[in-house]
Amino acid sequence: MKTNYKKSYIQKIGLLALGSSLLITACQKSFLDVPPQAKQPAVTFWKTQDDATKAVNSIYGNIRNWANTAFPALAVESIGGDDAEKGSSPNDASYLNAFDNYTVTSTEGQLQGFWEGQYQNINLCNQVLDNVPGINMDANLKARYLAEAKFIRAYSYFRLVRAFGDVPLRLNVPKDPSEFNIPRTPKAQVWAAIEKDLDDAAAVLPQTYPAADRGRATKGAALALHAKVAMYLGKWDQVLSFTNTVMTMGYDLFPSYEAGFRLANENSVESVFEIQCDLILNNKDASNSQYSQVQGVRGTVAGWGFNVPTATLAAAYEAGDVRRDATIIFRGETTPQGDAIPATGDNPMYNQKSYVPFSLIVTGYTEGSQQNVRVLRFADVLLMNAEAANELNNPTLAKSSLNRVRARARGGVAGVLPDVTTSDKDALRQAIWKERQVELAMESDRYFDVIRQGRGTAVFGPKGWAAGKNEVWPIPSVEIDKSAGTLTQNPGY
Amino acid sequence: MKKIFTKFSVLTFLCLLFLLDVAYAQNVTVKGEVRDDQGLPIPAASVVVKGTTNGVQTDANGAYFISAPSNATLVFSYIGFNTQEVAISNRTRINVTLTTATNDLQQVVVVGYGTQRKIDVTGSVGTVKGTDISKQASPNAVSSLQGKVAGVNITNSGTPGASPQISIRGTGTIYGNLGVLYVVDGVWFDDISFLNPADIESMSILKDASSQSIYGIRAANGVVLVTTNKGKNGSPTISYNGSVGYRAVTNQVEMANATEYATIINELSASNGATPLFANPASFGTGTNWYNQAFRNAFQTNHQISVNGGSEKSSYNFSLGYTNEDGIVKTQGYKRYTARLANDFQVAKFLKLGYNVSGTSINTNDINGGIFRQLYAAGPVVPVYYADGTYGDANDFSLGGGNNFNPQVTLDFFNQKSKNYRLNGNVFAELTFAKNFTFKTSLGGDFGQNEMRGYTPVYKATQGQQNNVSKLAVNRSEDRNWIIENTLTYKNTFGDHNLTVLAGQTAQRRKNYFINSTALNVPYSSDGDLYLSLGSAADRSVIDGGNLTTYVSYFGRVNYAFKDRYLLNATLRADAASQFFNGGDLWGYFPSVGAGWVVTNEEFMKNQNVFNNLKIKASWGKVGNAGVPVNPTTLTVDQRAGYVVVLGGVVYTGANVNSLVPSFLNWERTAGTDIGFEASFLNNRLSVEAGYYNKKTEQAIFNIPILSSVGTVGSEMLGNQADFRNRGFEFLATWTDKTESGFKYSVSGNIGINNNKVLSVITGSNPIYSGGQGIANGALATRTVQGGAIGQFFGYKVDGIFQTAAEVAASAQKSAKPGDFRYVDQDGNGIIDGKDRVVLGNPNPKYSFGLNTTFEYKNFDLALDIQGVAGVDVYNANIAYRFGNENFSKDFYDNRWHGPGTSTTYPSANVGSTANSAPNSFYVEDGSYIRLRTVQLGYTLPSTLTSKWMTKKVRFFLDAQNAINIFGYKGFTPEIGYVGSPTSRGIDASVYPLSAAYRLGLQVTF
Repeated sequence: MKTNYKKSYIQKIGLLALGSSLLITACQKSFLDVPPQAKQPAVTFWKTQDDATKAVNSIYGNIRNWANTAFPALAVESIGGDDAEKGSSPNDASYLNAFDNYTVTSTEGQLQGFWEGQYQNINLCNQVLDNVPGINMDANLKARYLAEAKFIRAYSYFRLVRAFGDVPLRLNVPKDPSEFNIPRTPKAQVWAAIEKDLDDAAAVLPQTYPAADRGRATKGAALALHAKVAMYLGKWDQVLSFTNTVMTMGYDLFPSYEAGFRLANENSVESVFEIQCDLILNNKDASNSQYSQVQGVRGTVAGWGFNVPTATLAAAYEAGDVRRDATIIFRGETTPQGDAIPATGDNPMYNQKSYVPFSLIVTGYTEGSQQNVRVLRFADVLLMNAEAANELNNPTLAKSSLNRVRARARGGVAGVLPDVTTSDKDALRQAIWKERQVELAMESDRYFDVIRQGRGTAVFGPKGWAAGKNEVWPIPSVEIDKSAGTLTQNPGY
Repeated sequence: MKKIFTKFSVLTFLCLLFLLDVAYAQNVTVKGEVRDDQGLPIPAASVVVKGTTNGVQTDANGAYFISAPSNATLVFSYIGFNTQEVAISNRTRINVTLTTATNDLQQVVVVGYGTQRKIDVTGSVGTVKGTDISKQASPNAVSSLQGKVAGVNITNSGTPGASPQISIRGTGTIYGNLGVLYVVDGVWFDDISFLNPADIESMSILKDASSQSIYGIRAANGVVLVTTNKGKNGSPTISYNGSVGYRAVTNQVEMANATEYATIINELSASNGATPLFANPASFGTGTNWYNQAFRNAFQTNHQISVNGGSEKSSYNFSLGYTNEDGIVKTQGYKRYTARLANDFQVAKFLKLGYNVSGTSINTNDINGGIFRQLYAAGPVVPVYYADGTYGDANDFSLGGGNNFNPQVTLDFFNQKSKNYRLNGNVFAELTFAKNFTFKTSLGGDFGQNEMRGYTPVYKATQGQQNNVSKLAVNRSEDRNWIIENTLTYKNTFGDHNLTVLAGQTAQRRKNYFINSTALNVPYSSDGDLYLSLGSAADRSVIDGGNLTTYVSYFGRVNYAFKDRYLLNATLRADAASQFFNGGDLWGYFPSVGAGWVVTNEEFMKNQNVFNNLKIKASWGKVGNAGVPVNPTTLTVDQRAGYVVVLGGVVYTGANVNSLVPSFLNWERTAGTDIGFEASFLNNRLSVEAGYYNKKTEQAIFNIPILSSVGTVGSEMLGNQADFRNRGFEFLATWTDKTESGFKYSVSGNIGINNNKVLSVITGSNPIYSGGQGIANGALATRTVQGGAIGQFFGYKVDGIFQTAAEVAASAQKSAKPGDFRYVDQDGNGIIDGKDRVVLGNPNPKYSFGLNTTFEYKNFDLALDIQGVAGVDVYNANIAYRFGNENFSKDFYDNRWHGPGTSTTYPSANVGSTANSAPNSFYVEDGSYIRLRTVQLGYTLPSTLTSKWMTKKVRFFLDAQNAINIFGYKGFTPEIGYVGSPTSRGIDASVYPLSAAYRLGLQVTF
């Protein structure tokens, strides 16, 4: 009896064990097949119109990040100019001075940040351009999305080629590790790719969007950027033709130069392309543009006080030019919005174009994360038009466009900033360049503009700029290290 | 099939023969008592008829009775005592005195899925007794292992209750799950900070691949087996163990005082071409010592009560524990409540059922993680409070962004509390049948919930420290893990053969889920009233995520011993892991084999009297590491907040693909070979163990940097990228003796020597740079390259300080200033660039050692443990991590360059400039240390006294942890682990300071 009892026990447990083993073996496959947690597998993406929309949105979201709008961008595109210098406390981020005095070496972190930031934009665009064509969706919308991606890709390559010269050109998402390590593409080919993207974009993009899509790339933006690209390449007929077209598209100068840079007047009639930034309460990670913060007046709630106007810039304005006060916040002044700027502090001047009134700053969030970055303004289009017209021996058109910009800068006061009247090609060219300096000051245009004009040595030479070297920055050494020498360094670095 | 059947028949036949043999003798009932060498009864000692599984346990009074053949031999054994064999020789009463096992070989060792006599072990297993663990003033049991076992390296973090980083025989993994596997009573854990050290009976550290491989799947970084206290036969024993004490910072770094600070900051401004910030440095006096302001003598107390007992049918162990430790930084606190119940029932002679269940609740008051950086950086010219009671504001002193804060504000307004609840344990059934078979099934579970609640009120303390929208953050995460294990063991001894065969199967599921939520404008009346629902409804946020992994495994082991001379152990484990289900090799196979030769059991050794024991052993095994994310080969979509875009006031979600995944991933495998010996001499007073190991990690999984032009976030991709090797020696020597006057002592020293080397990297000779976290400008301070150790410090070699402009002009660093580092132009090309960087040091300790001693005389006992590491470097990232006017250490101030001839080793105040802050040899220091880890003096009241109070034992103790620390490093502590990956080991970026603890304690047993 006892044995039976024992036996039945053994049998029961044995069966249980056997059963559970078999059960596990049978279910093994489904037991082990675990999907990614809280992450969407990419194979289920790129299926619907909604996926395409989200992917294109991500491009606009990404271009406001640190690498695109803050230290890396300001170091590479602004501080080298004579309109801006490092600013802030002398002992704070003193490495940025290397961009002001051209002692930058290839290990400088901002170079790497800028490089990486632009290629991240390009990857997001390439993802869209490779994958959206296969989505079954509204054909017009699809075409527009592809054009938007091409615009941002062109914009990113423009920033890269201007900063580094030859750069690896990727127009597709790499499929295989063998495609990771590619050499630098000659810059002529990079420029050509930019021009093609902008042609494609301009052919498709609409000129205007409904309110809820305002801020997306427009036909005008593609044409204006193409004009700028053509200007850097000296293709003056193209500059003229693109700007002429843009000038018929309904843009105008915003009446108040100062107010045009305030939050209320973002995406105004003058805006050709802006990087859309915002502050979303309780979404700090989406309120992440540090463009205004890093340039905000130091010693106040506004920010860190980097990339400040120089005395050279302050002295460059003609008497009565309203742009001087609208571009520069002077220590001790009270801003038009009523913020009293401390009379003491590390820097005598701060950038007013990135300024967000203190009352709009919410602590706990990136200060001034609402401020859009003005990338292309109609004033720039007019000045490009003027320059191209002058180069193509049409001083009348050149003066008309140039004086349209100057007219606003008078702020309604007659007798200041007289119209430029000379028809001498060289004098007019100098006048246009001078106008670019003051009109586009602190907008990350000046440094590369002067190099484009071939005046690097003349203008920046006293600060240490050397021809044959400083036309481009060094390729980040980290990238050269990773490429095991496939990437080469620029001369002189 | 037929063959198997035949084999089985032979086996059965052998068994039958054996049974018959036993049956020839007449059975007698033997009674007796088992006592230790002090005459105290040993409960739960094992009494077995030799060569059979017929056995009983002694009761609480050490008494036993057993029925056995009159010509049989009884084997008496108990953990920690020498096993004794006594022939019955027709006697019916046999009293036995077991001697304390000074010879470890007689001990029983907990190994994977069972126990083994130490003599049978062919691998390398370190054992630490529970009494040694609970002697340490650490609420974390892993901390207590420091210095105890050769080859086990512990790096403590300083945060109360936090788990230290542990590495066994060097760094073999640099990605994913880097920690060892903890198996607590058969349930798997990544972390055992929930365990009360006083509940631990023993810990076994499986060090070599052959003993680890039975845990193939997760064993690559070593396995620690934890056995908790179980019930013992006998009337209830009630024990109380408690202590009170305090913890204080040791080896505090002295910072420049206010006058010194103002002086050096003026020098800094001058070197940056600016006007001095402070007109009259001397006017500031000594100013604020921020460390003294924030540190305190932190109170700690610990109480534990347990009840233990049982009968032949069932036994129990129940314990309650309470630990309260304040942090050395004001406001930080840690409280832990533990309860544990172990119970087992002998339901029938052949069936045992039981369970262990443990509940833990941990409450902490957290501090802002950035506080140590703030205390280092804060300007001593800033007062804590102004005369009117408001906070001192760095902005009033124009200190700027680098240190625009008052650390006291950070302490006062940081309100974060965490709660951690865990319930875990297992239930098991053990069935013995057909004499030699045991089937065990165990179901274990681990359920944990973490809750973090942080509240930022509306406040304006200083210009830089204010908040105008209150915020409540509530984060919760939960773990739901279960494991089921079935094992079948066959154990038999026939003739000279000793055979144990184990077969098992297991499945487990590990799930983590977290949900983080925030709300704004939550009003505050008390901590208890903080609800997200009370905040503004428009802008609440919530985010969640999780991780899920599943494993299915089969394993087997054969242990065979012939005449206790020749030992053979072999294991095989097959694991399938969900991580590798798609795009990987789903199954990993992990074999091992070990052999041993007990030389002293040979006939020819019978007449020698040098060795009491000599065993030579060798083993080889393979283990795996599945510590990678789920389906690492599955490309996923990133829908990050940074991709949100607002167009025309409308908020749009953005999502895209911004990463790369490998197309295929293999298991990371580690193959290890061990050879060694164990010996004891001089009547077992001296025992020595030595071993050599060579452990190779193959196809290590980690992210390797890829070109940024690919455009992925982080610019890296996972893959099987490298082979590493750790090889070294371990040596342990123990001397135990007792004098006639009753003085008992034991001195045990151990040392582990490890050499870490990267054998190959997928990038070939192209190195992997890492270690940018906390380093100025994010410069990468470490390099992992073929032929070197993992994460070696890498940078420029400093050969002096530029004294004059003329010296600069004549050098390779034209843009340098006097007071800057002069770097060695390694390639002599007249330019200092990346190619001039060299290896500056190795953060992987070469030597780790411990000296553990105990002394007992009459009623006094003393334990003294010394521990240290040597042959290791650390990187002091604090000095150059500067954004502006951060403070400097007094050492830097005293030695800085401030004019020609003032220093040839320390740079000027402008140490934070890009050129000076680039990783270089100045920041690399020797990280060796030696410390008095523990000293404990105890006094036990005479039993003549205590017996009157109905108590068995009353002991008082005084102890100190880390009382003396000797090191040359100029930071707080050279005991620095890694953040993120071992490729960034040894970088001091504001580590938690070292502290010493002093306690007074009481132990009472009823």
